[in-house]
Formats: sequence, C-alpha cells, structure tokens
Amino acid sequence: MLSGEGLVLGYGNDAVAGGVDFSLSAGEILAVIGYNGSGKSTLVKSILGVTPLLGGRLRWSAGAPPAPIGYLGQLNEFDRRFPMRVIDLAATGGWAGLGFFQGAGRATRRAAEAALEQVGLSDAATLPLHKLSAGQLQRALFARTIVQDARLIILDEPFAAVDQSTEADLMALILDWSRQGRALMVVLHNLSAVLEHCSAALLMGRGRSVYGPTREVLTPERLVDRGYMAADQAALIAEASSAGSGKGDRRA
Amino acid sequence: MLEFLEFAFMRKAILAVIVLSLGMAPVGCFLVLRRLSLAGEAMSHAAIPGIALAYALAGLSVLSMTLGGLIAGLGVALLSTLLARVTLLREDASMATLYLLALAGGIFLLSVRGTAVNLEGFLFGNVLGLSDGTLVLIGSSTTLTLLGMALILRPLVLQTVDPVFARSQSRHGWLIRSLFMILVVLNLIAGFRALGTLMAVGLMIVPATAARYWVNALTPMVVLAFVFGAGSGLLGLALSFWLDNVPSGPGIILVAGLVFLVSLAFGQNGLDLLGRLSGRRTRSTLSKKSTLGKGP
Repeated sequence: MLSGEGLVLGYGNDAVAGGVDFSLSAGEILAVIGYNGSGKSTLVKSILGVTPLLGGRLRWSAGAPPAPIGYLGQLNEFDRRFPMRVIDLAATGGWAGLGFFQGAGRATRRAAEAALEQVGLSDAATLPLHKLSAGQLQRALFARTIVQDARLIILDEPFAAVDQSTEADLMALILDWSRQGRALMVVLHNLSAVLEHCSAALLMGRGRSVYGPTREVLTPERLVDRGYMAADQAALIAEASSAGSGKGDRRA
Repeated sequence: MLEFLEFAFMRKAILAVIVLSLGMAPVGCFLVLRRLSLAGEAMSHAAIPGIALAYALAGLSVLSMTLGGLIAGLGVALLSTLLARVTLLREDASMATLYLLALAGGIFLLSVRGTAVNLEGFLFGNVLGLSDGTLVLIGSSTTLTLLGMALILRPLVLQTVDPVFARSQSRHGWLIRSLFMILVVLNLIAGFRALGTLMAVGLMIVPATAARYWVNALTPMVVLAFVFGAGSGLLGLALSFWLDNVPSGPGIILVAGLVFLVSLAFGQNGLDLLGRLSGRRTRSTLSKKSTLGKGP
C-alpha cells in the first residue's frame, strides 16, 4: 500500500522525528507506538497530506494515495453539540465520492444503517450526538469509517476514551477490516493489544524510530531506549511476560 | 389594524425581511454552530468604514456601498486571522481591536462628511429607506447565499462537526471557510438598510439560537430559523409602524428576542418547562437508558 523512506516529520522548521522508515501492505495492521509528542500524530497527518513532510518520501504502491483514506482521529476538536443524529454522522463517511450539488442518496443511507448495525448502535440511530456516551460516539465514528469503505484506514488512538467491552468490539472490527484486505495503521497505547493483534510495529521516540515485526520492536530494551517507559517499568513487564501469560492477567 | 399594507414602502419592507430571512437562516445557523456569533457581530461593525468611505466617494449608490462594506468586513476578518497566526495575539482579541478601530473610523467619516445619511437610520435601520436598489441587493444576496450554501454545505458540515476529519478528506478547507465568510458579510450588508449596522447580525443569530432549542438536526433547524426570522421581521415591522419612534431594527430583534425566550422556556433543548411539569422528560430519558443499557 505504502512505505515511508527516511521521513522527517514536524512543523515549519521544527523536526519532531527523523529517519522514519516503515512499510504497510494490504491486510496488514501496523501499530504506531510512542510517548506523547514523539511524532505519531504528525506522521499520520503527513500521510493524510495535511502536514507537509520536512524530508524523505512516501511511496504509494498505486502511484498516488488512495481516495478516500479512512481516518479516525483524536476527538479534541469534535463538536458533540452539532445538531446531527447518529445515522447522519455515519452517512458523512459516504460524502467523499459525491459531486457538488449531488444529494447523498439511498445507497449512502443504507450503508450507514448497515454500519450502525455492525457497531451495535442500531437502537441509537436517531439519537442526537450530544446524548451519546464516549463509547457510543466512538462506535458511531467506527460506523462512519465502515461507510468510507477505504483501502487504507488510519486510526489515531481509537480507544482513548472507551471502556473495555467497547474496545474489544472495536478491535474485532479492526481485525475484520484487516481480513478484508484493507491496510491499517493504528496509533495505540495498549501494548498487550499491539502484541496480540498487530503484525508490525513502528516505535517512535527521542527523534528516531524503530520499525519491524512487533515481537522484535517491542522489547523492554527498545521501549526504554526510545523513552516510552522507564527502566524499572520495563523490568516489571519483562518479569511478567517471562512468568507466562503476559496478556491473560490484563483482562478486565 | 392592517392598514399599513396599503403603503408601498411597507410592502417593500415586508418583502425585504422575508427574502432576507431566507438567506440569513442557513448562514446564521452555521455562524452559531461554528461559534462565530460574536465574530459575525464584529464583522458587521467592521463593514461600516467601507460603506462610509464608499458613500463619501461615490454617493448613495447601493453597488459601491455594498462593495465597500464587503471589502472592509472581509479585510478585518482576514487581517485578524493573519495577526493571530503571525503574532502572539489570539483571534478574538485582534478581531475586537480591529473592528473597534473600524467602527470608530466609520462613525468619524460619517460625521465629518455631514448630514445626508442620518446616523440613527444607519445604526438601527430605516424601513422608509428601502430603495428599489436595496431590494435588488437583498434579492441577489439571498440568491447567491442559497446557491453558495448548497455548493459548500457538506464540507461546511464536516468542518464544523469534526474539523480534523474534514482536513483529512479535503485540502480545500480554507476555500470553504472563506466562501462562507463572504456569504456572512454579504448578508450583513444586505441587512444593513432594513435593520441597521448594529442590528443586522441579530436577524441571523437570534432565530438560529432559538431554533436550536427545538430541534436536533440541521435541516429542521434552518427551516425553523427562517420561520422565526421572517415572523419576527413581519411583527417587528408592524411594531415600528404602529409606534412611531421605534426604528425597525430594534423592533424586529426585540420580537426575535421574545421568540428566543419562549424557545428557551419550552424547547426540548432549553429549560423544557412543560415537559418537566408533566414529567415527560424524566420518563423518556429513563426509557432511552433502558433500551441502550442492553449493550452490544
């Protein structure tokens, strides 16, 4: 789908990270990990074309970025007081392909209904956005992403404000997308989810990055080296995972 | 009681407020939803020096005064965005500063220039002052607004509800934003003669805020804002006709204010007094919770 070669990320003259290499192919889930400010969101914005690259280049296997790119970003600018029902929000995912004066027809509406069913929000389809819980809103936004029907989907901290059962449902959707042959890039903080579900990982921090198969990238030494966690934390995790079921005991 | 319909100027005024409300409803709703209500007020003041200067240079010509107002209003909007970007000042602060300067400059120009335009009519609107040229301006403004809004509606909705997502889907965000601002200023200027420079923004904002109390979707909000706006316009005009000393602008906005108060008291998103009294609200919230509580 795409690969990055020696990317330099940042705004204006301030580079946040340099020498970022990665590659992402169809059906693969690439996890992006790093502390706040390590350049994860800047990487995402550069791929979306919102922020220009300061250096390096992105190679698209099709020659150009696919359209649309499925995207679910952080919600700090999202306006939940906008007068809109859940079904309308889901339908906005189908707007990219429409012409200027063209109405969003029945096909979009049906796609939105089907997507709401998939995320378990059919009952809430006509609720206004301001009546939703954080988990329901995130489900609605996943429904919008389903309606987008994109070959490349980028999710920036999709589980930031949701409870465990919502996270499990949404993770299942992500795995579905991957099985359908879509390429996924997911910014995540839950390391056990990364180890369990993502084939490759890009660990960013201290101005540089490490890319490779998840098990090779997420070693305690590398996590400490990239400033993601302190040495004593890493030692605890190493102990826990050598004791056997490192993932099992984190279940809710 | 309805004898005012016999006067041609009154019929013109009625036509003007209805057509004006048609364009101002969608623009006003987005102004409110995008948290630009106060910026709209500021831009309407900012347009004054442009109109005054055009008047001083070209006399009482609708076209040149409109252009002057557009240039000054958009100038202040763009300049304050620019100042906020390149300096430490935030946009509201730079906009307030610039519009106050513009307003002072405009009044100064009008006063120095003399008496041909009376200041009260300029600030608060004058029903008698609606020339055929003004009616054409209002009609063109509304036509352009409806066409323009239809063109930019979807990106505008996306930008307002989820700006980060909108940016990921389109590179033309600034174009949409600028087109919308042009429509805002255009409507303000179209409203100046009927409502005055201080009150024109009121016919955009107040019906839109009142409408938001009743509905939870965009289309009904816009339709309701139009009904509220046109209704307030008609009643306000009658008020300023019956009571000799009431200028049309404040008359219309006062009626709109009454609509706002009623909406605040009884709207489902307002205080919902009737609903609370009958207990409907509590019950409906509970029943919603129970259907949603099932979980996935």
